[in-house]
Amino acid sequence: MADDEATSAANPADGVDESAPAAAVATIDPPAPSPENADLLARLAAEIGAEAVLESAEACGDLVVRVALDAWANAAAACRRTLGFDYLCFISGIDWMPMPAVGGDDATTDTSAPTQPTETTYGVAGSAGRFQAFARVLSTRVARSGLTLKVDVPTANPHLPSWCATFPGADWHERECWEMYGFIFDGHPSLRHLYLPHEFEGFPLRKDFPLLAREVKPWPGLVNVEGMPGEADDEAEGGES
Amino acid sequence: MGLMTSGALRKGMLKPVGELLNYSRKYSLWMFQWGLACCAIEMGAALAGPRYDVMRLGVIPFPASPRQADLIVISGTVTDKMAPAIKRLYEQMPDPKYVISMGSCANCGGPYWDSYSVTKGVDQIIPVDVYVPGCPPRPEAFIQAIVMLQERIQKEDPADRWQGKGWEPIIVGG
Repeated sequence: MADDEATSAANPADGVDESAPAAAVATIDPPAPSPENADLLARLAAEIGAEAVLESAEACGDLVVRVALDAWANAAAACRRTLGFDYLCFISGIDWMPMPAVGGDDATTDTSAPTQPTETTYGVAGSAGRFQAFARVLSTRVARSGLTLKVDVPTANPHLPSWCATFPGADWHERECWEMYGFIFDGHPSLRHLYLPHEFEGFPLRKDFPLLAREVKPWPGLVNVEGMPGEADDEAEGGES
Repeated sequence: MGLMTSGALRKGMLKPVGELLNYSRKYSLWMFQWGLACCAIEMGAALAGPRYDVMRLGVIPFPASPRQADLIVISGTVTDKMAPAIKRLYEQMPDPKYVISMGSCANCGGPYWDSYSVTKGVDQIIPVDVYVPGCPPRPEAFIQAIVMLQERIQKEDPADRWQGKGWEPIIVGG
């Protein structure tokens, strides 16, 4: 446990260092936050410390804040106890790795998603690496108020603090996040499978999880559709015969 | 049961008895519903909707347990987590028992053919008598599956069924 704390304490520093090249990759210019969101950000920074707020952005009128890993649990407590966000909407994960080509790098059979990016891009508020966890909290008393919190999860050692002590409802969200992405929530009462069979191996929502069916059989969705009767090709064939 | 398995019901004086038995079984199919996903809505339309009303064909869709059921309809996506439960309940049904696989997901995995969690067809775990293609199938297709199954039951020899002889799946519209 002492080792975990040592690594998690060291990681935010890495995150700060790596965020500069990450921001260079993702060229998303955050608009200036609205006065309400600026006030919310200032209050959050006052609660968890200004150095723990790594980056913030406004998306669709909503504040998105990327916080340091060791402030993740404090952020939950601050949201619930001080900032008035009494409802946890969800906790989930993100894998920013580009989708690998099915069947190896030279495979060209998978045309299911021709718009898949080949370079790593990050969403609003940036990211320090491949894995992120994010959560959304709402207020049930103030209309149209919400806050999305993001945290960078180390790739090699994906540990982050659990929110169960603050929001008991985080239990199942974190179990799902663990079985889908392999994030280990330190302090969670019982990390075990929720949706998948208990003997399931691997973390299926990681981008490098192999979909064995696609390895065996190429994507069958792309078919040559026959022309409708009366179209040019059809008439040409009719003329020949 | 000795009569059933010996084949005595298909010849001589007992042949009409066998046909009568088949006729009775055909029109009193107790059906265990297994709605797993959206196909269950279409199945509900075929079962309870006044327009289709499958009970007029003698299908009774309300057995309290699989131990009273003759027919099971797998309608929807079978996941690897649900598969052991399906096999277990199927094994609790008394013979002779029939299986209708309804919809693309239950037939072969359907749109989830490459998913990490979906079983690629319920026929990987239990034998299927009738396949109903569609995503989802219309209630008419489901009712046709019932009718085709009833035709098979009328013609079938209980001894052959018992021994698994001459078993071949029916495909609605295929």
